[in-house]
Amino acid sequence: MAKNFDTRAVRPAIKGHHFWLEPYLFLLPALLVFGMFLYYPFFRTIFLSMFLTNKTGHAKIFVAFTDKDNYLTLFQSKSFWASVAVTFRFVFAVALGGLLIGLTSSLLTEKKYRGSNFTAAVYAMPIAIASAAASMTFKMVLHPTNGLLNNLLGTQINFTGDVRYALASVIGLTIWLTSGINFIFISAGLRNVPAELYDSAAVDGAGYWRRVWSVTIPSISPTLFFQIIINIIGAFQSFSQIKLLTEGGPGDATNVMVWSIYMDAFRNFRFGAAAARSVILFLIVLVITIIQFRFEKRGVNY
Amino acid sequence: MKKTLALILVGLLAVSLAFAAGSKETVAKDAGPVKITFWHAMGGVNGEAIASMVAEFNALNAGKIEVTSEFQGSYDEEFAKLQASGGNYPCDIVQIYDIGSRYMIDSGWVLPVQEYVKKDNWNVNQIEPNIAAYYTIDGTLYSMPFNSSTPLLYYNKTAFDEAGITKVPTSFEEIYEVAEKLRVVNPDGSVKRYGFGMGNYGWFFEQWMGKQGLHYVNNNNGRGEQYATAVAFDQNGGGLEIVKVWDKVLKEGISPYLNIGNDDAKAAFISGNIAMTLESTAALKSLLLNIGDRFELGVGYFPNIHKNDVGGVSVGGGSLWMLNTGDTRREDATWEFLKFMISPEQQAIWNVKTGYFPITVAAAETETFKQNIAQYPQFQVAIDQLHDTAPQYAGALLSIFPEARTTVEGYIARLANRTVDAKGAVEGMARDINKALEEYNLVNY
Repeated sequence: MAKNFDTRAVRPAIKGHHFWLEPYLFLLPALLVFGMFLYYPFFRTIFLSMFLTNKTGHAKIFVAFTDKDNYLTLFQSKSFWASVAVTFRFVFAVALGGLLIGLTSSLLTEKKYRGSNFTAAVYAMPIAIASAAASMTFKMVLHPTNGLLNNLLGTQINFTGDVRYALASVIGLTIWLTSGINFIFISAGLRNVPAELYDSAAVDGAGYWRRVWSVTIPSISPTLFFQIIINIIGAFQSFSQIKLLTEGGPGDATNVMVWSIYMDAFRNFRFGAAAARSVILFLIVLVITIIQFRFEKRGVNY
Repeated sequence: MKKTLALILVGLLAVSLAFAAGSKETVAKDAGPVKITFWHAMGGVNGEAIASMVAEFNALNAGKIEVTSEFQGSYDEEFAKLQASGGNYPCDIVQIYDIGSRYMIDSGWVLPVQEYVKKDNWNVNQIEPNIAAYYTIDGTLYSMPFNSSTPLLYYNKTAFDEAGITKVPTSFEEIYEVAEKLRVVNPDGSVKRYGFGMGNYGWFFEQWMGKQGLHYVNNNNGRGEQYATAVAFDQNGGGLEIVKVWDKVLKEGISPYLNIGNDDAKAAFISGNIAMTLESTAALKSLLLNIGDRFELGVGYFPNIHKNDVGGVSVGGGSLWMLNTGDTRREDATWEFLKFMISPEQQAIWNVKTGYFPITVAAAETETFKQNIAQYPQFQVAIDQLHDTAPQYAGALLSIFPEARTTVEGYIARLANRTVDAKGAVEGMARDINKALEEYNLVNY
């Protein structure tokens, strides 16, 4: 089957100047798909962000660089800055919390013991749960008067409607949801740490914590780095928890940017403003990604 | 090996192409039943009722009309999907909530039901006048009322009896009094049962404007010759009266804060944590089912803000809109389907299964309806309340109603968290809604 194919033997049969087109023809299917679902929406969003749109989402009045500019309006709105701040707090807490729980749970199940498979399944379970279903369950768990959590604590706290708890509730749920995938990846990372490293550390007299800190963590740093990126991207995209638990409230307490984009576009009919928010979110994620890759060159051992 | 794989792939491609071509042919054929699509937003018990009504219609019209009903999520989600379709007519008939009415009228996608009423010489008086009033603008019936509801006061009758309360409160002055007696406090000082509790639901705010006999927006509540250009609830003082009551209820712990929407309030009421609550008539059936034997359910009129208020409730819920698809065969079929859905028999069944009003007057004469009223006299209260209101309290029409409602709920949430006071909340609501309205009117008219 595997014959050596000499391309020179075939090609000259076709006239040379047709060749410049050939690679693009091969690229065409991929470009079409990307163009339709990635590049077109991307440029369309930038375009829309310069207009006021009518109720069906058609660009109506060009407002860029005028006093009605969508970006200007956003920058002047307190609610927008609150939303940016909330987003950062949310993303930071979720990315770090998910990672810590994933790391802890995978260290706990690293050594085999009776029932460790069961514990591992429990730790990994959140992957199998849709965020919408989990949110509906948590809505009941967090119910202000007869929720499970209030019954356990003997309190009557409004976890989703009180500014002091709303963000923490949504963060808690999201951390739990992301912990499963963190657990799986970090567990896999732990298996790949060479046993000799532990052996020689043990010979050197290193205790458990010392081994974790000086052997395990550096050895799995690529996995941790990868997980942080995945967590951050996932956290920026969190939506159903917010929609089902708090609707971005109370006030702006859980008004993350993705939620405010949804509200502007699909409840308030302001596609232009929603597009402007999307562009800003895109720039934020872009900057964070660049910083992450800079950091990777220094902090990660491959 | 590779060759076989390639052959299989080519084969698959050919087969799928053949299917694609085939499906197009069947659509293009003119013979066979007219197929229409019906979008609705009814989940749970209500969705099952829709499915069985549609199945019955299809059975009756076998070979002539075939209706496919599609559940599109909540009202908000369904509305957003229709909007996103940008006038590509994804369906023939769509159920839209009350507050989407102005948007639909302005959209230009709609075939007013009035046209078929005229063509078919159909008597509009078959519809309950207080319901028809909501969907009639400048004498044109735009959509067919279908699932109409009003808010009610639901109460735990068992708790009322235990506390020796015989009179059902009709205003907030009376609610304060009764709630005090119904309140049960644990030995540790926490509240075991609140006398009253309500969700943060913008619909109630709108209803209380009508209950005070006042307008929500200007230009004859958005029903005049010109569309609304600003809210009226801040100017006529009605908004502040409502928010002051809301503030008192929350601040004095008469009701716990039960979050946006009505889910949490409903759950708290069913589990007996609150002894009175406000909910739509449409929740009656599901409340009865969920409460079961736990306690006896009582129903009263939606309370006034003040004892001497003179207005009435307006209908909420949804109506069925015909889309202007331009295909006469399908539009004719849609009209047949509409007439079926609001026929007295179907409306009686709909009422029994869900708790929405029968929107057709004659439904009250059917056996189904009479039996149900005998079994659940609670239904009667809702109907009396509807008859006691008047067409002039039909409620506002506002293009940006979904946003306005969200805005109101947002400020009530802030009020509950004490980050704004009653006066500031009303000012904030008016400012935000007016700003949104101004921009909407600028780009859309």
